[in-house]
This record gives sequence, C-alpha cells and structure tokens, in this order.
Amino acid sequence: MNTKPFTSGLSENAVMITRVADRQWHALDDDLVVGCGYAEHRPDGRLFVSIDAWHDATFDRLAEAMLAELPAPLYTVVDEADVELTDGWLRAGFTIRRREWEYAVPTDPRVTGLEEVLPPAGVTIVPAGQADESLLRAADRAIRDEVEATVGWWQSMPAEVIPRPEGDTIVDPSKYAVAAAPDRYLGLIRVVTVNRPRIGLVAVRAGEQRRGIARALLAHALGTLHRSGFAAAWTEVHESNQAASALFEGIGARPMSSNLELVR
Amino acid sequence: MKKNKNVIEVEGKVVECLRSAMFTVELENGHQVLAHISGKIRKNYIKIYLEDRVLVELPPYDLTRGRIVFRYRN
Repeated sequence: MNTKPFTSGLSENAVMITRVADRQWHALDDDLVVGCGYAEHRPDGRLFVSIDAWHDATFDRLAEAMLAELPAPLYTVVDEADVELTDGWLRAGFTIRRREWEYAVPTDPRVTGLEEVLPPAGVTIVPAGQADESLLRAADRAIRDEVEATVGWWQSMPAEVIPRPEGDTIVDPSKYAVAAAPDRYLGLIRVVTVNRPRIGLVAVRAGEQRRGIARALLAHALGTLHRSGFAAAWTEVHESNQAASALFEGIGARPMSSNLELVR
Repeated sequence: MKKNKNVIEVEGKVVECLRSAMFTVELENGHQVLAHISGKIRKNYIKIYLEDRVLVELPPYDLTRGRIVFRYRN
C-alpha cells in the first residue's frame, strides 16, 4: 500500500493524494478530505473505479494516482447527462465502451396495449413466488448459456452488478414470474421493488422466441404492478439490444436517461 | 447531522430532479443544496428519484453543494 503523499502543485494549499487502503484513495487539503477514489471488482471480474471530488483539479490528481497503481483495463460508469464527470474521465484517457438506456415503462394496460395479451397456446404464466425453483434455475442457466454462446455479455449487464453467491444467478426465486410449458420453463421475468419497481430481466429460451412469450410475461408483470398501485416500472436496455428496445418502446416505454460505460 | 472523514453528512429529501444528473435536496433544517450522485451509488446502478430520502455529504467549504452518498428505503 502506498501511503506516501504527493502534492498537486495546483493551488496554494496543495492537495495531497494518499492511498488509504488497497482500493481507496483520499485527496487531502489541509487535512480535510476533499476527494475520494474507489476501485471495486464487479461479479464479472472487471475492475470498476469511481472518484468523488469537488473540483476538476482534485479529480485529475486522484485519477492520475489511481491509474498509475491499478492494472488495466479499468472501467467506470457515468450518467451521460453528467457532462462534467464524463469529461473528467475522458481527460484521464477513458473512452466510451457502451451505452445503456434507462426506460420508464407504463403499467396501465390501456397505455401498454397489453390488456388482451395472452401467452401462446400450451404456455401458462406462473406468478412470482409460485415458480418451481429447480425448473426456474434450469431455465435461467439455459438462457444464460445461450446468450454467452452468442453475444456473450450477460455477465456485464447492469442487472448483474449486485453481489451474489459464487455461481448463483438467482438470488431470490420469489421475484421471478415464468412462462411454463408442461415439461419446462420457457421464459422468465424478474421484478424487484425497492422504493419503485425495476424490471431486472426479461428472457426467453432461444428456440421459443418470436412467439409472444416476452410480451405475455410483460403483460402479466406490468398488470400485477398496475393492480398494486404502481404507475410505472423502470428498466435498463443495452443500446445494441434492438429487440429489447423495440419490445419496450412498443408498449409505450420512454427512454429517460442513459449510462455510459467507459474503459481505459 | 453527523461528521465523517471531515465532511458533514445530512439527511434530506429529493425535491427536484435537474438536468446534468443533478438534484435539489431539501435538508432536515430546510436548507436546499444542489447535489450530484456519488461514484459508489452510480457504479451500483442505484437510481435517485423525486421524493427519495437520501444522505448527503456536504463539502467543508461550500454548504450549497452536496453529494448523495446513500438512498434510504422509503
């Protein structure tokens, strides 16, 4: 651990940068903490950094110190509307890797047009809390393997950043509603409500797509939320996932903001 | 109000969501500050919305600005 401070030389009261822990840096101005930097591994193994500073000069000094001591590649996430922060990371040599849109999804069936939507013949919707856990885990694993074999980015999806037990992708089975065939589950949707509902995942097995299963799952989940008094839910969609964007925009969802993932 | 790492932390409520990922937060004492989201909150995709109860960190030399470091469950 490097605890030797160095000065910024940018002001009369020079800011001093100190690595105070393995993954934490402080910027000190006359013994006051005027900035902090953090590094943290996400479940997908990538190392993400963040900096909180009140001034650009402090941000730049923290970034310089952290980047000198951390192994590449490094990642960070910014709200695209936060121009000041985005500029800070670009100054530090980061480049934009991808964009995720955040959608506000209406729940009212009269707005979504999902009022009359039913699952295809032979498929039933099992409400959240009633799914068979072993069938749920089997469907989740099969879908993730399919995604990994094609686009291969499910581990870096924003919905997957929450720490979970090693190898476990279903933390709370009660949050999933599923589309069920007689012998297996074909698709799933996860909705978690902390202050407001968030659709963390909508997925259908590759061989069962384009049958209306995702729309039926959404119709069920959004209808349930509507009856519970929630006017809207939230979700994030990877910019390149045109099918998901079309699905949500087709039911009246509106993009409200966007996150940029940067890499250096 | 509590002090931590030489900064002041105060609870408040988000009363306005502004452009540029900024928020107006009304503190317990009625003061309003212009706040942005901390890096840790951003990294974990924790979203801040109108009327959320939050913990705000204030800089020692400018009590009109703030940084949202925690969002409470309502």
